[in-house]
Formats: sequence, C-alpha cells, structure tokens
Amino acid sequence: MPLRTTARMLVVAALALAAGAACAQGMGRMPMPKAEYGTSAVFAGDGTLIAVTKQGEHVMLYRSPDEGRTWSPPAVVNAVPEAISADGENRPKILALPDGALLATWTRPLGKPFSGAVRAARSEDGGATFSPPLTVHRDRREITHRFEAPVVDGAGRIFLAWIDKRDLESARTAGKGYRGAAVYAAVSDDGGRTFRPEVKVADHSCECCRIAAAPDTDGVPLILWRHVFEPNERDHSLARLGPGGAPSSVTRATFERWKIDACPHHGPALAVAPDGTRHAVWFNVKEGEGRVFYGRLTAHGVAGQRSVGGERAAHADLAVAGQRLAIAWKEFDGERTQLRAEISGDGGVSFRPLAVAQTAAASDQPRVIGRGDDLFVFWRTEGEGMRLFALR
Amino acid sequence: MLLGAAAAFPAEPFVILDRGQARALGDAASHAAPTIVALWSSECVHCKKNLRRFADMAKADSRLRLITVATEPAVDGLSGPLDRLGVPGRRYAYGAAPPEALAYALDSKWRGELPRTLFFDGRGGKAAVSGVADEAAARRHLGLSAPPATSETRLRKLKETP
Repeated sequence: MPLRTTARMLVVAALALAAGAACAQGMGRMPMPKAEYGTSAVFAGDGTLIAVTKQGEHVMLYRSPDEGRTWSPPAVVNAVPEAISADGENRPKILALPDGALLATWTRPLGKPFSGAVRAARSEDGGATFSPPLTVHRDRREITHRFEAPVVDGAGRIFLAWIDKRDLESARTAGKGYRGAAVYAAVSDDGGRTFRPEVKVADHSCECCRIAAAPDTDGVPLILWRHVFEPNERDHSLARLGPGGAPSSVTRATFERWKIDACPHHGPALAVAPDGTRHAVWFNVKEGEGRVFYGRLTAHGVAGQRSVGGERAAHADLAVAGQRLAIAWKEFDGERTQLRAEISGDGGVSFRPLAVAQTAAASDQPRVIGRGDDLFVFWRTEGEGMRLFALR
Repeated sequence: MLLGAAAAFPAEPFVILDRGQARALGDAASHAAPTIVALWSSECVHCKKNLRRFADMAKADSRLRLITVATEPAVDGLSGPLDRLGVPGRRYAYGAAPPEALAYALDSKWRGELPRTLFFDGRGGKAAVSGVADEAAARRHLGLSAPPATSETRLRKLKETP
C-alpha cells in the first residue's frame, strides 16, 4: 500500500517539523507538538472518499478511490499558510456540494487566546485546487468565531454555524455579565463563493464544544449545540434555521441538568432519518456519572434515551442510511483506545454492538459517514493513519 | 522528587508528564501533605478562576502544596497564564503518551472536562472535583478548614501555653 504509507509518512513528517519548530523557539527542553489529528471525511458524488486534515499551516486534502485502502498524494487547500485548528473538538471539514464542487471549512486561530476566524474555500476540480479562502463573518474582531459546523439545505444553500463571543465581549465592555458564548450563522446562496452577513442563532451556548448540523427531512438545516441554561446547566439546544440563518425555532433538546462551570470539550452529533426521526448522541454528567447518551429528539423531550458504551465512552458520532443507523465512539480501556460501534437496522429500536478497531496511540474522534445505503466509520490515529471501516 | 514543595516565584519550567508520574500524581499515597493537583488547559475559559484561587491559597498557607498539570504539550507560551496569575508549584504538561492514557492515569473517573482538581489531605484522603472550585469546599477536602496560623497567633498560643 505505498500511497497509504505515503499519507502516513507525510503526517508524521509534518508533526516532526512542528516539533522542530517549537524546539527552535528556545523552550529549553524538547517540547511535544500538540496532538492535532482532527480530520473530516466525506464521500464525493462519484463515490471517492475525501479527507481533509491539517499539516503545519495548511489544510490538506486526500482522495481515496478504494474506501481508504490507498490515498492520493495530498492537495493543498490554502496556498498561503495560516494557522489552523485541528485539536480536540476542532477539525477542518469538507462538504460535497450539490453542484459537484467541494467546500472546505476550518477555524483559523488568531493571536489572542480563544480567538479565531471561520474560513471557507471552494474547489471546482474535485479538490485539486481551491479558491483563496475567505473569512465567512463580517465581524473581524480578534475574538472567538470558532467550531464552525457546515450543512447544505434542500435548496443547495450552505449554512455555517459557529461559536461566537461578540455578545460576551459587548457585555464585558458594558460591565455586565454574560452566560457562555453565542451561536451565529451565515448563509451562502452561491456555493460558498460569498456569504450573507451573519445572524445570531442563540445566546448562551457553551464555549468550546463542537456543533452538530444536519438537514431536516424538508431540507431545512438543524443544528444541535451544548447550551448553558440558567444558572449553569450544560444541556443541549436544537434549532431549525430559516433561509437567512436566523432560527425559526429553538428548543431545549436534553435534560440531564449538568450544573457546572467547566468546559466539557465534548459536543453532540445529530442525524435525521427519512421518516423524520431526529437521532442524537451527546455527553453529559447525570447523577455524578459522565456518560454518552443516545436518544431521539422529539417535541416532547427525548425518546428512547439510554447510555452508550461503558463509563469511558467518548466523542460519539452517528449517521443514518434509510432505516439503518450507526453510532461509533471511542473508549479507553486502561491500555488502549477502542473504537466501538452499534448498528441498528430498524430505525434505532434495537442495536447490535460491534468492536471495530483499537490503537495504543493518540487518536482523533471517530466520524460516521454514509454513501448510499452503506455506513462507515472513519478514524485517524497517530499510529495507523486514516482508516475507514464498513459498519455492517 | 515528584512532589516537591511549592516553589517561590519565578516558576519552575514544565516537567513533561509520563504515565508513571501521572499515576503518582493521582495517588493519595504520594501526598504526605495537603496538596492540590490542578488540571487545566489554555483552551479552558474557566480554569483561570481556579488557578488564581489556588495560587492565593498556596501563597497564604505554607501547609498547602500546589501542583499544576497542563493537559496539553508545553508549546511556547503555555506558561503565560500561570506566570500572569503567579501560580507557584511544580508544573507538569502532557508529553508523548496518548492524552487518554495520561488522563486515565491521573484520574480514571475524569471525563475530560476542565477545570478538574484533585484535592489530597495528606492523610490518605482524596476528592476529585470538576468545575470552578469553592474555597471553603476546597479547604474541607484538603483538611485545612482552620485558617493558617499567623506569626501573631503562633505567639499568642505560645503565651497561652502553661
């Protein structure tokens, strides 16, 4: 598998370079590079698997014609180097657009702590080249605009939602308090070439958990995020976004009532089945125990809620394909990180467990993706590189 | 060696944490004096409150030892928040071991939320608390509910001693 090996070597080389650069800054001892394995994957319209990740100050795009067994040499998304977030809940993302183009998005950290800009770049040649990246939001202050979540609606419009601290900053300036951060969104009507001015989705989101996004059955974007309910309950909210990005509805989605002033660094995932069922996985602490939960979000609360995996299950993702539903998560067993999954063939009524893979090294969060009626889990690890596993 | 006394400022450089050190830091048997092990990261907006509070407590009470663990590698600038807040004590930062392995070794019940604090009373007692810490509760966990003796109170006690 020479091409696959090449991809791994490039990742290792990039990390070695990062280590060397940090060492040259006079730390006085050999520092370790950040574990920045944040990677996203999607199937393009022709069935090709596409992955985007960070190497140094570039987002890099890889293509695989054979479900991750071999990978092409990478293409550079941003020709001009810039800082890129790819640790923890951060990662570059890639959308396969209805017009056949690709849209890469990422967060560019700025100088101040917690600051960032949401960036986007479009490719019309299958990912070989990209347009110069643009900053999606009009607000250019050096504050938080991070953890972007892209989704395409039924009309082909691109919605980008992110965590934004402009309201927190305004409150601080006015000497007032403000709970958490906010969620903002911007819409592109032209495939990501331009974006309309951003609008607020909600005040009082949690500060640093990834946002989940998925189209509803009518194509309207849904976003699910960790919210800070009064006084400090870190549950989740669900919004349907109108054509301009402003929400047509916002509802409380989960009810563990985890009261804490802390950063969970643990965002949810959402998938909508053809019958309209809103499947979700999320992490919360309930009765003193931190668990990953699965449930179906309804207008009347959560249906079928249960914990997923063991007491160290973490960073679950899920996707649907017709009546098939797959959940994947990682779970450290004391020695290794296990990649586990549950598969349902009946819309989430019953599930079958599956042990997928394991690693002894650092790893990214797993991503469940679909292609037609097939579901897969994509997982990048320090030791094994980028891998795709069919969930059957 | 592992659990040295709180250093006076200027602060120590980061010690790169391995699994063995992490296990020792999380083990009550390693701590013969009231000790705070404060887990934090540069990505945690709530951690500064704890670091400031613990720094003040450690400076005001020589019985208390403070150890910090950055749950990320010691890249350039990581010491900035500790330096600005005047946080004393040994400073650890994550190293080459997988982050999940270090987290498990430090505190197998911890799920990654920050701040996370391990309080040791120096007599085998341990409490793990997530979120911004309350000082009174912290003192209870540390077995330091009574305020530290000042030179004045020490003198008074000496005088009262028959």
